[in-house]
Amino acid sequence: MNFGGLHTDHRAIIAVAILVFLVLTLVMAVLPALREQALSAPAAGVTPRVGEEERGRQAYLREGCGFCHTQFVRDLPMDRPYGRPSRAGDYALENPPMLGTQRTGPDLADVGRRQPSDAWHLIHLYDPRAVVPQSVMPAYRWYFVEKDQAAPGDVVVPVPAGHAPPGKVIVAGPDARALVAYLRSLQQPKVAP
Amino acid sequence: MTIDISAIRTRMRDPGLVAAPSADPATARVSFEYVAWATVWLLVGTTIGLIASIKLHWPEFLPFAWLSFGRVRPVHTSLVLLGWSSLVLVGLSLYVVSRTSRVPLWSPRLARIALWLWNLTLLVGVVTLLAGVNRGPQEYREWVWPLAVMLAAAVVIDGYVAYRTVAARTLPEVYVSNWYILGGFCYLAILYVASYLPFYQAGLGNTVVQGYYMHNSMGMWFTQLALGVSYYAIPLLLGRPVYSYALGVLGFWTNLLFYPLIGAHHFIFSPVPWWLQSTAILFSVGMMVPVWAGTGNLLLTFKGGGDAVRRSYALPFFVTGLIGYGLASTQGTAEAFRSANIYWHFTNFTVGHSHASMYGFIGFIAWGAVYGLVPRLTGREPSPLAVGVHFWLALVGILTYVTSISIAGILQGFAWVSGQSFIASVIAAEPMWLWRTIGGLLMVGSHVVFAANVWAMRPQRDTVPVAAPGAVGSHA
Repeated sequence: MNFGGLHTDHRAIIAVAILVFLVLTLVMAVLPALREQALSAPAAGVTPRVGEEERGRQAYLREGCGFCHTQFVRDLPMDRPYGRPSRAGDYALENPPMLGTQRTGPDLADVGRRQPSDAWHLIHLYDPRAVVPQSVMPAYRWYFVEKDQAAPGDVVVPVPAGHAPPGKVIVAGPDARALVAYLRSLQQPKVAP
Repeated sequence: MTIDISAIRTRMRDPGLVAAPSADPATARVSFEYVAWATVWLLVGTTIGLIASIKLHWPEFLPFAWLSFGRVRPVHTSLVLLGWSSLVLVGLSLYVVSRTSRVPLWSPRLARIALWLWNLTLLVGVVTLLAGVNRGPQEYREWVWPLAVMLAAAVVIDGYVAYRTVAARTLPEVYVSNWYILGGFCYLAILYVASYLPFYQAGLGNTVVQGYYMHNSMGMWFTQLALGVSYYAIPLLLGRPVYSYALGVLGFWTNLLFYPLIGAHHFIFSPVPWWLQSTAILFSVGMMVPVWAGTGNLLLTFKGGGDAVRRSYALPFFVTGLIGYGLASTQGTAEAFRSANIYWHFTNFTVGHSHASMYGFIGFIAWGAVYGLVPRLTGREPSPLAVGVHFWLALVGILTYVTSISIAGILQGFAWVSGQSFIASVIAAEPMWLWRTIGGLLMVGSHVVFAANVWAMRPQRDTVPVAAPGAVGSHA
């Protein structure tokens, strides 16, 4: 190879650089991604989210919940409280999969099983500090309505005294209920032993 | 091997400058416009970052949907990465390709169109992200695809302008700065397109691409342009050749060969293929070659130049930035090992690392180059005192930031490993989050001073820019 030629030939430098980067992109990203895509067959009994759960997932994406909450359990002792180690199949129907890179809040891969109470989730979304005093999670009050009196069919949130305006009832809006439906749907599929 | 080292060295003694006339006014103006707009995005992006920081120890601060933590976080990262850091380095790079090729920029008009396309993308990006329109928490590719198409178009236009300028050069060699700069434009275009194409991103395929994208956007774009600009500005400001031209070229090729292999180290212990994770860890160690070739080479260029550093207001930024490059990259390598990853992954330690590299390395290099080069293209200098205030606020700010957030990360990791309840890690980290805000406040303050300095360096109307007579290392 004539290195002398290379360093006076801008076309050659660019061509070699582009070629190498394209090959590495193919080998390190595109081909492994294609393989993972093919391998990520959904586990038995897993179906795509529809209706309220899907609406809740949209709200979860909109609010950027995934920047603080992982959905990715590692095979490490410290991750045991969050569920079994994550498998490729867990993410087959997730678009995008939200493994995450930060755990400012706890992992949610299996939160639907760990915390099955609708009331707890609704209070927690309305004011996280009403159930976990030291929490730093944002309060998603814009998904709730303050009313003087609940109407028939309203989902009233049992917010503890001191965490809601006195004399008002807090009613969960459609997105709050959808978010809870989504969180409840986060249950790791069972795997054959 | 037929490199004529002595011929190159002679040329390096003056990287295309002494004989060159003063900067072409149109080139100078468009370069300055990039720097000025980058500064606007720096102010907005870091103010947003400060808001996000405050929310972690004061969760009821600004409790509005459009300013909630999950929405401002991608605005902060998008603006400081794709707004400030990219635009300032593109503006400086356009100037560097023109000067090292000894020709005016090929088409300042096209470069200006790209700048406006870029600004429009950022503006719409901010509004959509704050409104909650996004692609989910896919770091640095959160905004929707039409914006990605616009940004890719701007990158391709800028890259083409740089390419045509280098192609028109009046010297036989392609100066090493231009290798890095042209490479950076090509890599970013490929990277951006490959990361937004959906055909292989179902299920975990998406995660493989995520690792590739978020990692390479650092080393194959910001590092490329920052080193390209440094290989021009540092020898120029010191008035001496770069320590080793060959090391610069070695750094270029080893960075290209090693860096794209290590993206998967963000997903260690995940179901992403084990071979991909292990390759990533292995080459995270390999990265020490280009990192220390670059850091060492440029720092050795300073050897015996202590006097010039003391007299210059631009060079201290470069020295800090180069040390930041070496340290932050070495830290990244350490974090990739599985044993260290157990303690540090998912913690705030990663946030400290990203700020050490994007601010301690890229930011400081960019500021050094702005203070070193912009007075040459506009003929106006900022007050040295104001530059000093900027330097010390930014340095103390980033040191406070990185120290506190790294301690927060270590405390989080220890709380998790020792099996305490999750909230114990929040309680342990919270005092450090307050310190992080204090550091961030100093950093934002330094950016206000920087903005005033950029304003002081603005081109005068109707005058031909000439090299500022007082600029250190000026040959004029």
